Amino acid sequence: MLSNFGSILFFLIFGAVFVCVNILLSRLLQTRNPYPVKLSVYECGELPEGNSWIQFNIRFYVIALIFLIFEVEIVFLFPWAVVFKDLGMFAFVEMLIFVGILLVGLAYVWAKGDLEWDKPEQVPSPELYRTDNVNSAVKITESVAS
Amino acid sequence: MALSDIIRDNINSLNYFLPELLLTGLVLLMIIADLLLKKERSPWMSIIALIGSGVVLFAIINQYELGSRSIFNNMLAVDEFSIFFKLLFLATTILVIFLSIASVELSGRSVGEYFTLLMILTLGLFLMASATHMITIFIAIELVSIISFALVTYLKTRRRSSEAGLKYAIYGAFSSGLMLYGISILYGLTGTLNIYEIGEVLAGRDTNSLALLISVLLIMAGFGYKIASVPFHFWSPDVYEGAPTPITAFLSIGPKAAGFAVIIRFFNVALSNYDGVAEQWLALSNINWPQIIAVIAAATMTLGNLVAIAQDNVKRLLAYSSIAHAGYALLGVVVLSSQGVYATLFYLVVYYFMNLGAFFVVIIFQDIIGSEKIDDFKGLASRAPIPAIAMGVFLFSLTGLPPTAGFIGKFYLFAALIKAGPEFYWLAIVGLLNSVVALYYYARILKAMFFDKISEGVSPEPLKISPYYVTLLAVLGIPTILVGLYWAPLANLASHSVHFLPTF
Amino acid sequence: MIPASYYLYLSAILFVLGIIGVLVRRNLILILISIELMLNAVNLTFVTFSNYWGVYDGQVFVLFIMVAASAQVGVGLALVKTIFKKKAIVDVDKFNLLGQ
Repeated sequence: MLSNFGSILFFLIFGAVFVCVNILLSRLLQTRNPYPVKLSVYECGELPEGNSWIQFNIRFYVIALIFLIFEVEIVFLFPWAVVFKDLGMFAFVEMLIFVGILLVGLAYVWAKGDLEWDKPEQVPSPELYRTDNVNSAVKITESVAS
Repeated sequence: MALSDIIRDNINSLNYFLPELLLTGLVLLMIIADLLLKKERSPWMSIIALIGSGVVLFAIINQYELGSRSIFNNMLAVDEFSIFFKLLFLATTILVIFLSIASVELSGRSVGEYFTLLMILTLGLFLMASATHMITIFIAIELVSIISFALVTYLKTRRRSSEAGLKYAIYGAFSSGLMLYGISILYGLTGTLNIYEIGEVLAGRDTNSLALLISVLLIMAGFGYKIASVPFHFWSPDVYEGAPTPITAFLSIGPKAAGFAVIIRFFNVALSNYDGVAEQWLALSNINWPQIIAVIAAATMTLGNLVAIAQDNVKRLLAYSSIAHAGYALLGVVVLSSQGVYATLFYLVVYYFMNLGAFFVVIIFQDIIGSEKIDDFKGLASRAPIPAIAMGVFLFSLTGLPPTAGFIGKFYLFAALIKAGPEFYWLAIVGLLNSVVALYYYARILKAMFFDKISEGVSPEPLKISPYYVTLLAVLGIPTILVGLYWAPLANLASHSVHFLPTF
Repeated sequence: MIPASYYLYLSAILFVLGIIGVLVRRNLILILISIELMLNAVNLTFVTFSNYWGVYDGQVFVLFIMVAASAQVGVGLALVKTIFKKKAIVDVDKFNLLGQ
């Protein structure tokens, strides 16, 4: 007989052993054939285009922040929805006011233009690429292909 | 309690919640107005904020007639204590609006959001003053903190400002994490989050005193952060230096006073056997609260004053001095008697006038000579006599010299302390020694302004001070002297305000 | 049933890890993550005690903590963004303009 926690303990031990055994097995069975292309960035079979450390558009950040706030506010709707029938009209009006205030916030963000998604013609500046890396990766790929 | 009773209580509470509701409406109105008024730098936002504040002021005064009550199912209390603080906060906000209109720092950028955020901050302060439930205390503190972060960073292009805001945000989040852990332990010990019920439970049965001590110390981390007491003061010099000066002035009064409101209410209701009318609140028997707070107060005063000596930047010097003043105001909390609370309330009002005044003089000089360094203040008395003399009054008052308001405030604090018994004599002595230290560094500013020669290369021509500035200086300076001579009305107000809602 | 004390030990460990993270880490984003860890530890404590006492206000508190934490992190990240835009640093030791 295992108690509740005992089965969790068993699960933990089993998981740990499973992972360790598999890593060990693959170590024992694998063949070793390293070549440099294996270290380049995987881009669905394409040749890697430049460095992956480019700057993302700053708008991602703004949208993400706005999303974060509004998404989390929704958490208050759940407990209200569960007891909605018992609470009746008063709570409904309360919730309308709450959502209304949120909408004012959304309208503000909208009117200030933070939801606009303009796509500027952005040619990433050459400094962002570390050209020597790119060139060497291309060279290596070519040498392997030939 | 039946569900219908709870809902009825909520509906009945709305009438008592009028100032906060009006303020919320004002904020929404300002957000929409900011969108409609496209013009940058239009004075309308400040005018709307001032008119709205006036309406809220009437609603608050009206609360005196409604009487004390616990509202929203014991979430908030409307009592003389909270009304007193609301008046203080609103006065701070109104004055800071006037200071902001004058400030050159803020000119040239859109101020719509600035005033809106200021009003939200005021709403948060109102909630802090009346919160009687751990959830409302937490929400109010968070509201004040988050808005303060944004306001401190308002000068986006100035890197000091962003840096200060970021430091403030990280310290704030950290200390609120500590406070929440303390609250959760207290919840585990008592099984309730209402501070009245916590008080009953703690008085009624023996609790694990070590766990209680840890939880209260952690909660003090959150409160101490708000009043900038040692060891949670690190943020304050940086933030005070980096923020726009009107915001610095606001932060040194508003959140600090609100922190005191929360501390006083929490300690007196939850951690002592307060029975509503008694002259003396008895601390819980197994832990010596007063001595713990006494140590914090002594450390806060001493550190604030000693570090202030070494400062060259007046704004930073005032930041450290405001840490020290938080220590003085804590003296009244140490006593845990109604006399101590009374002294603290009195001191906060006095502090409002003298500290806002001192910061205002800094704003004026910053606008005119573009510097906040003590060395650049040399000889300003001959070039701008009115602000210099006003600065003298404010600094004398901050030191606590008669015949200024600061002297009376300190007198009440020390009197309450001495009366509480010989175990606090050491604290009174520490406080007095600190006042001497404070005299030294305040005198440095005065010496630079009145006795030092004007630096070479600076023209000795008199500076032009606008009548607007002079009026505001008078509004702050005259009470600072007047209260020092005739303090009965203020004393009456403060003693009238030492009434918490006894029970819910 | 797993006893309540186990949850409390877990949350205490998480909380201390969060504190260590805030104090030791030098990267702003990681500091914010550590603060989130502290708050989640608090949430766990609240839920545990709420279950222990059989009252719900602890769980309500958790909702409020979640919302307040997200607002706080929102403002914190926005500040990181404004600073990063001007100068590409996220190392707190480099924030030393003030107090000089």
